[in-house]
Amino acid sequence: MHRTNWPLTILLGLATLTVFVPLYVTLSMAFKTSAQSADGNAFSLPAPFNPASFAEAWSLTRFPVSFGISLAVAAIAVLLTLFLSSLAAYAIARNWDRRFFRWSMIYLLAALFLPFPVVALPQIQLTALTGLDNPLGVGILHAMFQLSFSVLLYTAYLRSIPIELEESARIDGASTWQIFWRIILPLLGPMNATVGIFAFLASWNDFMMPSLIMSDPTLQTLPVVQNIFQSQFGTNYNVAFASYLMAMAPSIIAYLFAQRWVISGVTQGAVKS
Amino acid sequence: MSRRSFLAGSAALVALGVAGCAPSSSPSGGGGGVTLRFYEQKQEVIAYFDELLRRFEKERPGITVVHDSTVAIAPQFVRNEPADVGCFNDNLELARYIKRGVLGDLSDLPSAQTVRTDIGELTDQYATYPGRTSVLPYSLAAAGVIYNKRIFAEHELPVPETWSQFVDVCDELVSAGITPIYATDRDTWTLWQGLFDYSVGSLVAPGEFFARLKELGTDVGPDSEVSFEKDFAVPMERAKTISSYFNKDHAVRAYADGNLAFGKGEAAMYLQGPWALSQIALVDPDLEIGTFALPVSENPEDRQARVNIDLGLWIPTASTHQDEARELVEFLMRPDILNAYNADNLAYSTLKDAPPQQDERLAGLQDYVDRAAFYQGAGTFVPTSIPLGNYLQSAIRSGNFQGMLRQLDADWRRLAGREATV
Repeated sequence: MHRTNWPLTILLGLATLTVFVPLYVTLSMAFKTSAQSADGNAFSLPAPFNPASFAEAWSLTRFPVSFGISLAVAAIAVLLTLFLSSLAAYAIARNWDRRFFRWSMIYLLAALFLPFPVVALPQIQLTALTGLDNPLGVGILHAMFQLSFSVLLYTAYLRSIPIELEESARIDGASTWQIFWRIILPLLGPMNATVGIFAFLASWNDFMMPSLIMSDPTLQTLPVVQNIFQSQFGTNYNVAFASYLMAMAPSIIAYLFAQRWVISGVTQGAVKS
Repeated sequence: MSRRSFLAGSAALVALGVAGCAPSSSPSGGGGGVTLRFYEQKQEVIAYFDELLRRFEKERPGITVVHDSTVAIAPQFVRNEPADVGCFNDNLELARYIKRGVLGDLSDLPSAQTVRTDIGELTDQYATYPGRTSVLPYSLAAAGVIYNKRIFAEHELPVPETWSQFVDVCDELVSAGITPIYATDRDTWTLWQGLFDYSVGSLVAPGEFFARLKELGTDVGPDSEVSFEKDFAVPMERAKTISSYFNKDHAVRAYADGNLAFGKGEAAMYLQGPWALSQIALVDPDLEIGTFALPVSENPEDRQARVNIDLGLWIPTASTHQDEARELVEFLMRPDILNAYNADNLAYSTLKDAPPQQDERLAGLQDYVDRAAFYQGAGTFVPTSIPLGNYLQSAIRSGNFQGMLRQLDADWRRLAGREATV
């Protein structure tokens, strides 16, 4: 029986406006001239049509360079987060009966309550001391801050993976390490996508940490470089929005590709009971 | 097995870290040349300074200058790698670095003698370090009341020279159905920058007032020698009257709205500095604009302009290239370069015998700058831990400016008490 739930559909339609209206403004602003973008009429269509802002934003932010660095930072953060938190979560979930692992979990979760600004200054000093005041250091720190939330997601998910799968592998002679690589990690598929997307977005959109940690201004990430369009005293709207649009693209594309893994549940019914 | 692989993995990570630091630790390679880092983050003039740096590199082969425009100033000092030359707004934030002696002495530079002493003294109002000239003022911004010349001419209004003339002008504008003053309460800095600073500055000298307030520390109160409640009582009466001429929707308007509305000619006056002019020009490049200092007493001689040292140059003691850094400072301080910068960026030169600012929109303040009839805004002396802007919002709403001043005294006491224990 398939029936359209109209009230809910209308509600969802309205909810999409909260995304589409700002997106429309971003798009139309990016194609306006400087004069039109400052006339206080955000919703008007661009007239005359002016794509020059993209070229200006491209050269002002040294787009290929800062884009590449942002991408590298995000890649380090995502890979490190996936690797470290799945390992930690596997160890914790399978050894829950031991006190050391329970306390490790609490220790990791405690970091959820630790916002970056609180530890910013010691982090700046530590990264400088260890030579990590560069994109690599930012990537590692992003992974660290992502760790607690990701471990939380993984452990919850790991509990739903039947232990029988592992037992049968062990009977076939697999070591713990092999079980993790050959069985657990592939089974974690959808959770890998979720954790990866969270880690990517947090890293890609972060402004504060790279701006504070990175010592070489020529190696800054895209969000930090984009700050040149905006100050307390004035905003360069059309160029700023053109640049934001270019920076937004990878997040949207990444989500389009990964969203089906986020939602689907693969392990349901993997074991006959 | 698993443990060994884990160890191998972490060893690889450490190796990556070491490799990663290599490029950042050897920036001064390339045949014995020196690489300087120049810190300047005022967004509007980043490109301007980039060009100046390229000129310097051409004139002085062997030195390369990297322009650092990171927003926050603290991290570079925290990691003990400050830029070799800094160019920053002289404010309470910079004052912390001056006070703790991390900025070197520049008084022996030839260019230090060319700076106007009355402007040089302004930097001492925030902080000093014994025996040092820590900052060389580079650019002076002067602010007053920006007014729409066409509206004033249409209604045959004079530029007010006394407080009662100012009130008359406002009343006439109201009866003509024109908003006298456009205010933007939502951006709280616009409130203390305009309403608060202008009302106070020509009646109470902020530099002296805050110096004595600092001496009093925890003793500030209704009976102390100076206090907000006593000394700022008359200025805040003025502020209260001025706020009654604001646009009706002032509470919800932000800075960008103000520039737009004023650019469209929706109000006659705007309590803003020269930084707003370029934004207004975006809306209407042909708008005829003038600036005058807000009169708050009946004596025209009392009028003063609000100034701030928009940019000052400094060299941290931690810089490892002191001589080259000094060369760069000397280059930037050259009269032809410094005067050209200020002429091009709606500011005033800090040097003796400098040419006047040619921009018509700022001509009204030239005389005050020449005579040193200026003050640094009272709001700039209030640390950010006292939410002055929010206090002003509620004072404008309730009309209780006296209560706000008592609150400021109490906050000052609390802050002084806390600092005494550090």
